[in-house]
Amino acid sequence: MPALLTLAWIYFRIGLIFVGGGYVLIPLLNHIMVDQYHWLSLREFLDGLAISQLTPGPLAMLATFTGFRAGGFWGGLVATVFIFIPCCVLMLIIGRNYHRLKNIDIIRHTLDGLLPAVVGLVAAAAWNLGATSLSGFKEFILLAAGFVILKWTKLSPMVVILGAGGIGLLIN
Amino acid sequence: MNGNLSKVSLAELFFTFAKIGLTGFGGGMAIVALTERICVKEKGWISSEEFMHGLAFGQILGPFSLNVSTFIGHHVRGIAGGIVAAIGFILPSFLLVSLFSWLYFTFHKLPQLQAALKGTNPVVIALIVVVAIDMGRKQIKGISSMIMALAAFCATVFFKFNAAWVLLAAAAWSLGISIYRRESN
Repeated sequence: MPALLTLAWIYFRIGLIFVGGGYVLIPLLNHIMVDQYHWLSLREFLDGLAISQLTPGPLAMLATFTGFRAGGFWGGLVATVFIFIPCCVLMLIIGRNYHRLKNIDIIRHTLDGLLPAVVGLVAAAAWNLGATSLSGFKEFILLAAGFVILKWTKLSPMVVILGAGGIGLLIN
Repeated sequence: MNGNLSKVSLAELFFTFAKIGLTGFGGGMAIVALTERICVKEKGWISSEEFMHGLAFGQILGPFSLNVSTFIGHHVRGIAGGIVAAIGFILPSFLLVSLFSWLYFTFHKLPQLQAALKGTNPVVIALIVVVAIDMGRKQIKGISSMIMALAAFCATVFFKFNAAWVLLAAAAWSLGISIYRRESN
């Protein structure tokens, strides 16, 4: 079981670099948890993604799940606290200097400018996860149905994931 | 900080955001809408304009539903307020995910659970695809951003680069462009 300090350090670093709505966490955590440290299998990673989407919290709740896997309840707690420390500290700093910050355009332009790379990384995560975990006709039908519902209806992801779980229970 | 705002107790901040964090199902923007209704319209803790600015900063810095909570908490009661609001907002989700994780890793081998999760897997991937497309339509405008997105995609899929390095490279590139544009203006 990895030491809590290692966990804290890993999640703190992830917290420092996650920009662009949090979805960049998917490729980052996938790489670190599955490929690098082997704390989770790919299947577990995807299941964790489903579970973290069932709560109102941000996608970063995936940190709680992966931390839990690596170090039990305390691992989950440490992961959650440390992944959120950087953004909370930054928001507090911003709140404090809010009136002076309006004219620091260079920061905003830089962050806006790298968002296309985030899009590429998220697409790559979908590709990698799909290529290694999808098999069989049924799963592709579910993927297509999920895509259509999530793209063109306003149904919340939580409801769609719960529904998919129900269907999975029936057909498998 | 306004004078009348300092009357708001930290406990009230905590429970307000815990309520948002517990009932704001639907994620992301649904939560922001709920936060706006409660903090701007009902309680009058923050003006609508300041709220939008907080949201703009929050979106740059990742998990914006959490960031907006921190921002409002700080606006109402300073640093302690920001921390209390952030903890209040995250706590319900943290407890839920911990409970789910415990169930998951304890009953891993339960055939029913495995069958259900086999159904959720493709849908989770569909969700990521939808996010990529929606983000792409908003963020990718013009040739240079298209090249950047493609390069990031290829670097991770075909050349197996670490996502963090790709992100850092993109940030360095983007910073260079911003500085260049400012110099030439």
